[in-house]
Amino acid sequence: MNCGVCTAICPAAEFYHYDPRVICDTVQSKDEKLIEALLRSETIWYCGECMSCKTRCPRGNTPGFVVMALRKLSQELGYFTDSEKGRQQFAIKRAIGENILRSGYCVHPDIVSPQMHPEQGPVWDWISRNTPEIMEKMGSNYKQEGAGGLRSIAPEVLEELNQIFEVTGCHTMFDTIEKYSKEKADELGIEISDEGIGNEYFMTVFSENNGIHNI
Amino acid sequence: MTKTPQHIIIIGGGPAGLEAASSLGAAGYKVTVLEKDEKTGGKLNLWYKLFPGFRPSGEVQEYLANGHKMNPPEIITNAEVVSVLPETDHHKVILSDGKAFKADVVLIATGFQVFSAEKKEEYGYKIYDNIITSVDLENQLKSGNPVKTVTGATPQRIAFIHCVGSRDKKVGNIYCSRVCCITGVKQAIEMKEHLPKAEIFNFYMDMRMFGQNFEELYIEAQQKWGITFIRGRVSEIAENIDGSLQLKAEDTLSGRPMKMNFDLVVLLVGMVPALGTEAIGKSAGLAFTSGNFLASNDTHFNQNETCTPGIFVTGTCKEPLSVAETLTDARAATVRIISWLREKELESNN
Amino acid sequence: MVLEGKKRVWEDYQKEIADDHYFYVRSCIRQTFFPGSETTFLRIMRDDLGKDVFEDARHTTCTGIGYHTDIVPLDTTMTVIARHFALMTEAGYTNIIPSCVTSFGLYTEVLETWKHFPETEAKIRDYLWKATKREFKIPENLVHTSDIIYKFRNQIKEKSKVSLINKKTGLPLKVVEHIGCHYAKMFPTSGVGGAEFPSVLSGMIESWGGSVIDYPERRHCCGFGFRQYLVMANRGYSVSNSKKKFESMQPYQPDFIVANCPGCSMFLDRWQYTIAELEGITYDNKGMGIPVLTYEEMAGLVMGYSPWELGLQLHQVSVEPLLDKLGIEYNKEEKYLGAHGQKIGEPQKPQFLIV
Repeated sequence: MNCGVCTAICPAAEFYHYDPRVICDTVQSKDEKLIEALLRSETIWYCGECMSCKTRCPRGNTPGFVVMALRKLSQELGYFTDSEKGRQQFAIKRAIGENILRSGYCVHPDIVSPQMHPEQGPVWDWISRNTPEIMEKMGSNYKQEGAGGLRSIAPEVLEELNQIFEVTGCHTMFDTIEKYSKEKADELGIEISDEGIGNEYFMTVFSENNGIHNI
Repeated sequence: MTKTPQHIIIIGGGPAGLEAASSLGAAGYKVTVLEKDEKTGGKLNLWYKLFPGFRPSGEVQEYLANGHKMNPPEIITNAEVVSVLPETDHHKVILSDGKAFKADVVLIATGFQVFSAEKKEEYGYKIYDNIITSVDLENQLKSGNPVKTVTGATPQRIAFIHCVGSRDKKVGNIYCSRVCCITGVKQAIEMKEHLPKAEIFNFYMDMRMFGQNFEELYIEAQQKWGITFIRGRVSEIAENIDGSLQLKAEDTLSGRPMKMNFDLVVLLVGMVPALGTEAIGKSAGLAFTSGNFLASNDTHFNQNETCTPGIFVTGTCKEPLSVAETLTDARAATVRIISWLREKELESNN
Repeated sequence: MVLEGKKRVWEDYQKEIADDHYFYVRSCIRQTFFPGSETTFLRIMRDDLGKDVFEDARHTTCTGIGYHTDIVPLDTTMTVIARHFALMTEAGYTNIIPSCVTSFGLYTEVLETWKHFPETEAKIRDYLWKATKREFKIPENLVHTSDIIYKFRNQIKEKSKVSLINKKTGLPLKVVEHIGCHYAKMFPTSGVGGAEFPSVLSGMIESWGGSVIDYPERRHCCGFGFRQYLVMANRGYSVSNSKKKFESMQPYQPDFIVANCPGCSMFLDRWQYTIAELEGITYDNKGMGIPVLTYEEMAGLVMGYSPWELGLQLHQVSVEPLLDKLGIEYNKEEKYLGAHGQKIGEPQKPQFLIV
């Protein structure tokens, strides 16, 4: 009913040029041209997936879930590389996605480098330089076998994860992100490596901001 | 006719029940009105001035009282009906104290109750101060006392929130309660008359100005009284440290989220079927609408008859209606009851 | 403010929380940024409350961050979660307690989805079998670890050594409680107290002597936003949302902030540092910022555990002003020592934020 309670409460709508109500309107219109434009746009990448919209919608809708579906489609179709924010999926896949398969964690101290995370402050710099000692003091089981915080996750377990990723289509999704990102990097003439974050294309999509997202 | 007039029991002594009682009495029938409260009048007793012309509600109450002069009905107050049991020749109407009545026809006119605004938790009714309902406001205006915030200050900025408890799957009422929009316009004007310096904002989704002179009143609210209408449903109300209220909505016409502070917020609450209607309806074997109101047999041809022969419905127990529409509906129910009784009589003669 | 109104809402939203025999799954972010909190949770549960909390070393991330950054498809996440259910079933448990609020939201989302779409559950069982030869039973009880501390808050109070009271003034401390979005916003009935007035943290705070601040942006997201933080170019979103909350809570002069989501705790701590360095602003009146605690750290302090054992030295905003108010003694010299008392250096001091 275009009531706007979702946009009223949306953190992204306050910060970006973004309106979840309008996104739902567009999707509901079933207009192929408009929807394709949406999938190629910056717009669908502004949502923070907080789901505050779900709590309030008087029709029982969730714009956040609609946005997630649009993001999935945008990647599957390769449209995500048209937008600056969409291209960031490559960075996320390399940083987080590969870490899941490599270590069994999404986020781990090893991948939160002070250089890429200055906002973590000098305390994190200290933690980074003394991780084993600090984790020991905290009662973790850092990189050891057995239960405990930041334990080393056994190769057999990582293989189970790998199999799950294969069977459920996550490897396909990862390959899709890679494929279109490589095309884009080549088109822009930016160096891209086969894996990892030490390449120009990664740093570009990770840090580039054209400054016009908030207007 | 020379035989004893049939007995009609009307459940509910609000506008619908009283108007039907007058009409049926005037047509010669024996009418008993069972009213659960200690006085008749129903929700009409709560209202200050009626839209769209600001008629004092007392005028309608007087009209209803005078209607009884021709063959006055028997009115029993403090009589709460808990069930209606249909039988072949008569219907049994049973009160909460066990007393039973017999009737040839039962007309259910149990009316509505106001949506409990506490259920809309995100609006903070009865949690944060200075949030009242439209019913609270009618009461305030009727009392003649100046409208103040809880700390005794005069509100400088007032918000009216449309669609509270209506058009809302979250609280379980997806229907529109029909009369809240015009009430919002009416009360906004009344507040502006009361506090000419106050800024008044109405937050709406659609302005349902369906009746005669409604749209004209809406235009007057904007042109003459300077009331601002913002198209956006309110998402959340929170309290500031100074006791004022922070309200969040999207101005959908400009596509921008907004937040504003107000001294007083009025929630335009919708209608739900009156307490007791469900039990009565179930006992009588009636059907219900999706909004849980009592269902009539047909939207065009038979708005007052139900699926149980001899049991009729009128007024807001079947759908949200204004006072004017309720009176019209009560007269329509009267006509239908009279026809039905005539048909029955002819049948039994053949 | 009419407190009775809030209490009425809380009573409407009560959920069942199992009272023992828990299968514990860890949080990537909590392990990374608040490792002492998970240790403290287990210590309180096992040592102080005598509960059975089981951890299977073979559990992994739930992939929630991957799902919410849209690189991991829903089917994958559901199957990884199903694998955790399988580990739980194998170990003979029926109550699962995630440490992460995103995990909790996700597990709830998955179970709800399967309830309405049994064919999806069948598909995931199939996937899990194909990938790992594992099978699972649906958990009987799913709650977040903060729900458990909430449930036992009165027992914790009985064993407590410290109250959330300002020792100098004798008055209850003023606490901002922040609930992670994925705790109750998606499924209000899955949160104690619902989504508008959740009571999981306020219950703890009030039970332990503190008073809760309600401020206009209480329900606002801290701004994690997943991709909005993880990708450097987007961090403006993240810090702006926290800033909005800080500005809103400042007039109430909170003594500390507590959060049940590990991400929120981290952001509310680090963004104060960032804002101080970028703009020269802090939200307390000493230039030190408002201390932020995880609920485990709050429980640990109340139980009388040492601040450095709890891991408070890993916060960027100094917690010492709060410790002073609580009347808790601490040794400054020991703050940055390793497990064996060895010196491992110290963090540098920020330019503007006073630590």
